[in-house]
Amino acid sequence: MDHETPTPLSTFTRRGVLGSLTAAGLGFALFGPRGAKDNRDGRLVLDYWEKWTGQEGAAMQAIVDRFNQSQSKLFVRYFTISEIDKKAAIAIAGGAPPDLIGLYAYNIPGYAESNAILPLNELASSAGVNQENYALAVRTLVEHQGKQWGVANTCGSMGLYYNKATFRERGLDPERPPRTIAELDEMARALTIAAPDGRLSRIGFIHTEPGWWSWDWGHFFGGSLYDPVTDTATATSAENVAAFDWVQSYGKSYGVDKLLGLQSGLGNYSSAEQGFLSGRVAMVAQGPWLANILKRFAPDLDYGAAPMPVIESLYDPARPIALIESDVLVIPRGAQSPEASMEFIAFTQRREIVEELSRIHCKASTLATSTPEFFATHPNRCVAMHDQLAKSPRAFTSPRTRVWLEYKDEMESGFQKLWRLEEPARSVLQRVQDRAQLLLSDAARQRSARAALRAKV
Amino acid sequence: MLNPAPGSSLTTSSPRRRALSANTLGWIWVSPWLVGFVVFLAVPTAMSLYYSLCDYPLLEPPIFIGLSNYRRMFDDPIFWIVLKNTAIYASTSIPLGTAAALIIAALLNNKVRGVGFFRAAVFLPTVVPLAASAMIWLWILNGDLGLLNAILNPILKPFGLHGPAWIGFRGTGDKAWAMPALVLMSLWGVGQSVVIYLAALQDVPESLHEAASIDGVGPIRRFYHITLPLISPVILFNVIVAIIGSSQVFGAPYIMTQGGPDRATYFYSMYMFDKAFTYGQMGYASAMAWVQLVIVLVLTALTFIVSRKLVFYRSA
Repeated sequence: MDHETPTPLSTFTRRGVLGSLTAAGLGFALFGPRGAKDNRDGRLVLDYWEKWTGQEGAAMQAIVDRFNQSQSKLFVRYFTISEIDKKAAIAIAGGAPPDLIGLYAYNIPGYAESNAILPLNELASSAGVNQENYALAVRTLVEHQGKQWGVANTCGSMGLYYNKATFRERGLDPERPPRTIAELDEMARALTIAAPDGRLSRIGFIHTEPGWWSWDWGHFFGGSLYDPVTDTATATSAENVAAFDWVQSYGKSYGVDKLLGLQSGLGNYSSAEQGFLSGRVAMVAQGPWLANILKRFAPDLDYGAAPMPVIESLYDPARPIALIESDVLVIPRGAQSPEASMEFIAFTQRREIVEELSRIHCKASTLATSTPEFFATHPNRCVAMHDQLAKSPRAFTSPRTRVWLEYKDEMESGFQKLWRLEEPARSVLQRVQDRAQLLLSDAARQRSARAALRAKV
Repeated sequence: MLNPAPGSSLTTSSPRRRALSANTLGWIWVSPWLVGFVVFLAVPTAMSLYYSLCDYPLLEPPIFIGLSNYRRMFDDPIFWIVLKNTAIYASTSIPLGTAAALIIAALLNNKVRGVGFFRAAVFLPTVVPLAASAMIWLWILNGDLGLLNAILNPILKPFGLHGPAWIGFRGTGDKAWAMPALVLMSLWGVGQSVVIYLAALQDVPESLHEAASIDGVGPIRRFYHITLPLISPVILFNVIVAIIGSSQVFGAPYIMTQGGPDRATYFYSMYMFDKAFTYGQMGYASAMAWVQLVIVLVLTALTFIVSRKLVFYRSA
């Protein structure tokens, strides 16, 4: 075709189009979404990311509100974030971090070695937050390579929760829970009930409920998984082998198929179908927060708690052995005002605030000492026991290394193998050890390479 | 070629009133997509290729290390486990899903009363959110209290058997049955393929079936010799989509088993995700992503080569 009538498009001029695009861009820049924080009466706005939801989240929100009312310089905005450790890493790497993050204590080594969070030694002491005020194990949880990287805002100390009604039913003394591994095994057998078709309708104790700490059994036999001095994995120590031989004794004794069948029928943790709440597991290794779950889903369940049983040679009622975990408040690299963030942290570390938050979370206090009022008004009937565990000189934490999460997953996978009696404990642990050592060596090599690069720069 | 009428804005010589060519205008109209493509796909893809050659722990700057991440993959036992699991899942779920979708589509292609309801019912599961359907399946597959074993147990009891502990909460089920359980669950989502097959089946000329019927050809042979060849391009399309989808399986096992028990349901994309965001090894995860892309491309190319003799394309 030789001739075409110009389309309406051809009436767009370059100036018109460019002008429209510029106007749109300007409009977006001026009125579009922005990262800048809204002004709260001229206060500096701090964003605080935390993992807690529900009752625990509401408790923290109330503390944030009190802080906002207590002064007129800062305004903290509380955000609940799922999978917080992953999202925080992305935000920090992207250069858009919040001002405060509520991480897990096991995140500290990785974040600290990457300089993704700020060391708090000076900031904390200038704000009056002294490490000496905290329980020894809690102090360990926030430190790495000789520096303090966070402040613990709650701590969980794991013990053995047991169903007193089942104890009475089987003629056991409900005020005398097991103290040693041998007693645990004996009572577990007495509490186990088989259905007429051979399936287990109740078990006294099972290592996989709730299955969160499949790595820590060696500690109750005197072992550990990591030597921080030599930076080596110690999964194959004689104590660990003995502990996981003991784990295997349950499969041999009750039958793996029967344990699997029972385990498969146990419901979600935060539900009435959970093993302990439904009465299908009489004793479980658990943290203090279980009291909150019990209050909500099984308020009539008569329960007690005791330190986790240990082998006879380690039994010492004054120095129980217990796993301690903690939620920690950290200041990420790139926070707009670390001093302002520290001011909020210092507020949360006042005794009355620590005790209030611990009470609502049903946990022991992170502080080295607690007021009588704290115990008198605490909703967890077993708080004194949890407090004793948190302050015990033999309390232990997860290994303080940046490769811990990967090491833990190796342990979890190995545990599944040995719990199902697919391989002897020793050979499974040897494989875990080899893999963990490789991870540790890789991490050490990367640390050196980065240190050399920094020195060169 | 555009030859504008005299006096139109395209012919004006004034620079201030110079009009845009149709070509430039075209670029302007597609620019939002182009910007999105470059910013959200092209640049990140190029960056991930670079990161795959780096030690990049996400929270620290990347350091170039050449092909080390790719070499490490060969020595990484978990890499081979997840590759094997993904291959098993794909090689079982794709044929099963394709067969199931075809059979259901063939059944729904019949003119029976209430067929609209049945078609909607088959498609319905695909619109249920993954998290919700995963929770439903956790209960269906529960070894002790699940619906599936409630059906199986009375049948198996005379033989002294009982249904397996398919999948338990937090990956505590039977290791041998966890993968079959996930494959079984994948059939839940065949509704989408069924709809596509149904459309293809309705496009098969009725006259061919009539002619074959007159010649005494039975329904099964008609399906095999007439229907299947005519819908073979659609089968090819669905198989390729399934290869891509199953090589990236993530959501259901992430929610239901977290890869357990003992990594029996730990898939390639889950390990890649963990490497990147749980263990903070973004360089290694980027290398895994590129290997995954190459695997999918090779499998797709192989499928196309094999399909040359199996797929029948009708002329227009």
